[in-house]
Amino acid sequence: MKRLLMSKFVIGLFCTLLALPAIAQEDELKNLAGYVDFGDLSATYGEPKITINLGGTMLNFVGMMSSSESPETSDLISKLKGIRVQIYSLGEDADVAKDQFGKTRSNLKSSGWEPIVQVNEDDEQVLVYMKAVDGQMEGMTVMVVDNEEAVFVNVIGQLNPTELATVMDRFDVNVDLDLD
Amino acid sequence: MNEYDDKWEDRINALLDGELSADDAELLKAQASDDRELARAIIESYQLHQAMDQINVERAPDSLTKRLNAIPREHRSKPAFSLFQPRWAMAIAAIPLMVITISLMRPDTPSASEIAQARQEMAIAFAYLDKAAVITGREIESTVGHTMANAVTGSVNKVIQSENLTSKEKEA
Repeated sequence: MKRLLMSKFVIGLFCTLLALPAIAQEDELKNLAGYVDFGDLSATYGEPKITINLGGTMLNFVGMMSSSESPETSDLISKLKGIRVQIYSLGEDADVAKDQFGKTRSNLKSSGWEPIVQVNEDDEQVLVYMKAVDGQMEGMTVMVVDNEEAVFVNVIGQLNPTELATVMDRFDVNVDLDLD
Repeated sequence: MNEYDDKWEDRINALLDGELSADDAELLKAQASDDRELARAIIESYQLHQAMDQINVERAPDSLTKRLNAIPREHRSKPAFSLFQPRWAMAIAAIPLMVITISLMRPDTPSASEIAQARQEMAIAFAYLDKAAVITGREIESTVGHTMANAVTGSVNKVIQSENLTSKEKEA
């Protein structure tokens, strides 16, 4: 009996140690002022079709790799602390996503985020919010919900949209986006 | 008791225990016939030996037996926590093994492919940011016209840039 308990203890300890880096990184982002909790829509729509979680450490490596080919890109990335993306395919029912959209908007307002752009159409809603603390940008979040998908993007750190446009031209990435 | 007495005592005890050789026994008897003190000592020793044999071993009461048996358990030193016990030694030896395993499984420095993947993911995130900008620009344009749309999006960018400029000024 004692040996069984000891085995369970050792296995539990081992699993905990394995998960520590991921848990620590997620906790690190959660503690940042620019972090946004988008909630979880997987119960309704299944797992997100795209999930991106980039912490500060990985962004630093990406920035270092980019420094030789594009100082502008490296400079932009150096100001970022994290990037999170969740994209759900909604299917036929977008109501749950729109409800979550509203809850997140309320949470952003109550926690000091400022609306930059809001588009409220029947078939499409877009929100761009920004968080600044002591005059310093801490994060930006973009949420798009239409009848097909819900997009939640959270950039933690400082991001200049004009620099972003410049950097985007340098990325040789083929992203298929439906802009219709 | 002098050496003389010790010598006879040893011989008498050996005689009574049946350990004295036949020659020595005969010699002792011969000497006892000439020495009354020796003869008396042999007789007294024999009587004492007989009396000792007649003493029966009495069985101790159960309560006393239990109490006596408990004494060694009560005074036995309890096993103290020791890192040299096998189970603890194995557990301690497993810790560095786990640390090494984890460090091998999750290296601090990501590989080139992981960085390329992260770069791809970052580009996707930026593309969605760009998508949102396109949608908002399109909506503004459809509502207030192209010129006003540029003015609005430009002012939005200025708002965000001003936050960055403020922070840079503070840093300076």
